[in-house]
Formats: sequence, structure tokens, C-alpha cells
Amino acid sequence: MRKIGIPRSLFYYYYGNLWQDFFDALKIDYIVSPITNKEIMEKGMKIAGSEMCLSLKNYLGHIDYLKDKCEYILVPRISNFKNDNQTCTNFWAIYDIVNNLFETKILNYNIDIKKHQTLKKGLFKIGKILNKSHFEIKKAYHYAIIKEKKRLKKNHQINQNKLKSKKTKILITGHPYNLYDELIGKEIIKYLNNNQVEIIYSDKFDPKITNKLSKKISKDLYFKYSKDNLGAIVYSQDKIDGIIFISAFPCGPDSLANELAMRKIDKPYLNIVIDDSTSFAGIETRLESFLDMLGGKLND
Amino acid sequence: MKDCYLGVDIGSISTKGVIIDDENNIIASSYIWTEGNPVNAVKKLLEILKGKLDKNYQIKGIGTTGSARKLIGLMLKANIVKNEITAHAIGTLTFYPNIRTILEIGGQDSKIILIKNKIITNYAMNTLCAAGTGSFLSSQAKRLGINVEEFGDYALKSKNPVKIAARCTVFAESDLVHKAQVGYPKEDIIAGLCKSVVLNYLNNVGKGKKITPPIIFQGGVSKNKGVVKYFKKILKENIIVDENSHLMGAIGIAVLARKNKNGNTYSLEMKNLKFQTKAFECNRCSNNCELLKIYRNNELVDSWGSKCGKY
Repeated sequence: MRKIGIPRSLFYYYYGNLWQDFFDALKIDYIVSPITNKEIMEKGMKIAGSEMCLSLKNYLGHIDYLKDKCEYILVPRISNFKNDNQTCTNFWAIYDIVNNLFETKILNYNIDIKKHQTLKKGLFKIGKILNKSHFEIKKAYHYAIIKEKKRLKKNHQINQNKLKSKKTKILITGHPYNLYDELIGKEIIKYLNNNQVEIIYSDKFDPKITNKLSKKISKDLYFKYSKDNLGAIVYSQDKIDGIIFISAFPCGPDSLANELAMRKIDKPYLNIVIDDSTSFAGIETRLESFLDMLGGKLND
Repeated sequence: MKDCYLGVDIGSISTKGVIIDDENNIIASSYIWTEGNPVNAVKKLLEILKGKLDKNYQIKGIGTTGSARKLIGLMLKANIVKNEITAHAIGTLTFYPNIRTILEIGGQDSKIILIKNKIITNYAMNTLCAAGTGSFLSSQAKRLGINVEEFGDYALKSKNPVKIAARCTVFAESDLVHKAQVGYPKEDIIAGLCKSVVLNYLNNVGKGKKITPPIIFQGGVSKNKGVVKYFKKILKENIIVDENSHLMGAIGIAVLARKNKNGNTYSLEMKNLKFQTKAFECNRCSNNCELLKIYRNNELVDSWGSKCGKY
């Protein structure tokens, strides 16, 4: 039995590395649930309500995997990053959903910048619950946050180098927990990689830069992650050949962001909505024809 | 002996075959229902085409497109397998080099392709839901007890099309039943359906796209005069419907087969070919992939569906 379980879904793709560095520095052993497989996904669907989005169903599957393997499961509540930078309502609700559905103890912290609840306060709270001294927590926090900043800088640099590539460049837009999940977006990424496409991921840009740029598409948007995504499109639009927007069914914020991007950006654009349909054939048709169009193969 | 090229478009509802010569003239064509069995449909199609083909021609290339393109590509040993968007665009541009917009409604897909200076600039396809496509119309035709082929004629008779929600097939169906039970005449309901297909198409697939003339409308649904009428009325533009509009995908892929010919000669003799597929579930890991093994004359030619690449 490990001390902490980290579900490899949703928040993991934003904070996973930081959490692992933090717990490593505190010398606390943790377990990360495995890469999504069919068993986890199906379990999640069984537990979840019918109105929940595919990503949330998947998250609950990961929680279910961890429930008897650790003492605590880490489930934060990410609410907002100041005004006009809210997150999806599912992110607000997730702690209560997990708390109601599972018996395992939950390690929780809030990010609610409007009420001055920051990541730093959250991690200190967790450290205290785990019986670590103030000094130990402070050291671990700084260790984790410095590594995180370096990662952010590196990722942004990698993306900028990719924008100079001579290959066909496609910006993949979407939430990282969809893009990198084995059963949600991975198959699309694999297909593109096999077809020699330079993939630029929207979430790898520095959100401090992209978030503000989204104003060029809409000033009224108030979802933080949608703003980051749209900002990435604005940031890179002159250097890319096309945009693929991947979202999970039925994502509310994405349906809005997708429409905005489709109407306001003058670039070849493909929207793929993923549900638990197992057939890749329909998606493949769309990807293949999209690549044909970008490569000018249609025009011989 | 003269050279010719076969293009096969295997859609969810219908299977189309076209044979063209070096100058892109159609020398034989056929259009039959797929009836849920693409392999048998293609066998039947080839028999028909064989009967129509002059003995002076030999087939130097085969292309497949449509939703069963991969399977049939293996069966016919096609030299090119391409998606239907590419095929449709190439087929249309062969006959109408000045076209700006292609509207296409097929059995389970609908798409819009925008062209400028013979270059495709953008396209959109319906999401995976098949509402407002050919399969929707044919299932509603069955419900009303008429052939889908007569749909257009019925629709033209109507003066007051009823309003039908076409966003979702399930809602449309309950709307339709309700309108029929209330006592609306059949032709008004059918005209309403045709109109709702057009509105649904323009709202879903065509949203945000600038539709510039000349416009061509193709796919199986373009044979439905009612739908054509409402496209004209709503877009306030002339809509070209080619007599071969339902064959454009097959023509396009035949053109591609000609461009990609590799010197091989093909035969249309497929009657005795044993082409089988076997489905099974792999239990080696918790992904439990659904695998499909494909046998051509008892020889394993391909297998699909594995996530790890073991098969």
C-alpha cells in the first residue's frame, strides 16, 4: 500500500510532473495509475453519470484503479485563476464527485485565486497533512517549482523550434488530458506522426504568452484553458499549415472555443470530437483528406 | 488492346463502379446497393461491369474509395486506396475545372469542399453522427412506406412543406410520426424532410463557410429533386447536378488509378475468389482489442484493429 495515488488523467497533465517532484523531494512514495486501457475506461463509464464528459469518465476509471492501492488519492479542486480565467465546472465539482463515489481518503487542495487560495498554499496544506515540517515543505516546494519553470521554458522553446520546421506543420489544439490520453487523442497523434507531420501542441506554449493573445479572437471568453488554446492558435497561425482541434464529447467550453476558432481563423481547420466509439475509420478518413489538402495532393 | 481504369466507390448505402479510358471518358458504369455486405456488392458490381465492357479493353489500374475502401482495396489488389473527399474533388475537377463549391451528401457522410483557382482551400465534413444524410432519408422513406427513389417527385408536389427538426434522427422521427398522425399529407411531410436536410446541412457542415458559385451538388442524395429544389431556394443560386453526380467519387478514384498505374494488368474475374474476414478479441492485455483478420483465397493478407501492433 502506497501513501498517495495520482490518477493519470485530467490534472495529471497539468500538474503531474510538479506533484511527482514535490513528493520525491518530501520522500513520500506515490503511485501513478497506468496509461489508460480499455478496462480503466470501461470501469469509469460504469461509475460515471451519463451526462459527464468522456474525460471525466476516464478520470473516475483511474480513481477506481487506485482506490485500494493507496492511503490517499490526490484530487485537487481547480476553480479559477483570477477573474475571466475560470475552469470548467467539472473541475470545480470533481472533489465532491470523487468524495461521494469512493471511500478512499482524499488529499485535496483548492486553487481559487479570487479567494487567494494559491498552488503554494495548497501544497503546504498537503505537506502538513503528511506530517512534514514547514522547512521540509518549503524546500520541496521550491525544488518542484523551479523544475516546473524550467520545463515550461524548455517546452516553449521546443515548440518555437518546431515552428521553423520544413515539414507540414499542424497545430494540435485541445486539452492535454485529451491529446495525450491513450484512448482519447493518442491514436490521432500516432497517425500524424506516421505521416511525417510536424506536430505542435497548443498546451506546450507558455500560457502567460498565449492567454493574453486570445483577446484577438474574443474578449469575452472566460475559460482559462480555452483562452490558452485560442491564444496558441493566434500565436502560431502565420507559421503553421493547418489546425486540428481535438475535443471530447460533450465538452462545453470546447464547443465554444471550437466555433470561435473555426469562424475567426483563416487556416485549414479540422475539428474532431471523440466519444467512446471504438472505430477509427471515420477519424482516419478526415485526417487523411486533411493531410491530402495540406500537402496539395488534391490538386495535381 | 486499349487501356482502361476501374474506380470503385463503396459507400455505406450504395456501391458505385466506373471504368474510364485514357481520355477520362466513361466506358462502363454501374450503381447498386451495398446492402450491408461490401464484398458481395463488389462481386456483383464487377459481374455487371464485365458484361458492359468491350473486349478490346484491358484494365491497367484499380482504385477504391468510400468507407469500405481498405477492405475492398485488399480484395481487388487495388493500386490506389484514397479517401472519398480527395476522390470527389478530383472527379469533379476533371469535368468542371471552374467549380468553386462542391456540396456532397452521401449515405452516412456529408461534406462541403471549397475550391479556388482549382486548388482546394477548405473543406468540412459532418461529425460522426449521420443525421441529415442519405441513410436518414432512406430510413424515413421506409417508415412512410415509399421508395427513396420516389422521394423527390413527392416533394415537388408539395406547396406547404411541414417543419421537421432534422438536427437529430431520433427527434426527426418523432416529429415525423407526430405530423403524420395529426393528418398532414404525405407530400408535405416529405417536402419538409427534404427541406430539413438542406437546413441541417447548411447549419452543420456549411456553417461559417462562404458558398460561392458555381456550385455543384453530388452524392446519392443529389438525385433527390426535392433536396435540389430547396438548396436552390435557400442559397438563391443555381445548383449544378451532373447526370453522373452519384459516380463522381468513383470517377475521381479511377482518374487517380490512371495516374498511379504501375504496368500491372487486372482481371474482373472475382466470382470464385474466396474473401473472408474473421473477427476475434485479443486477450493478451487489458485493452482487449477487437481484431479483424482478412483472408484472400485462404491466405492471410492483413489484420486490423490492434493497438500494440503485435498483429
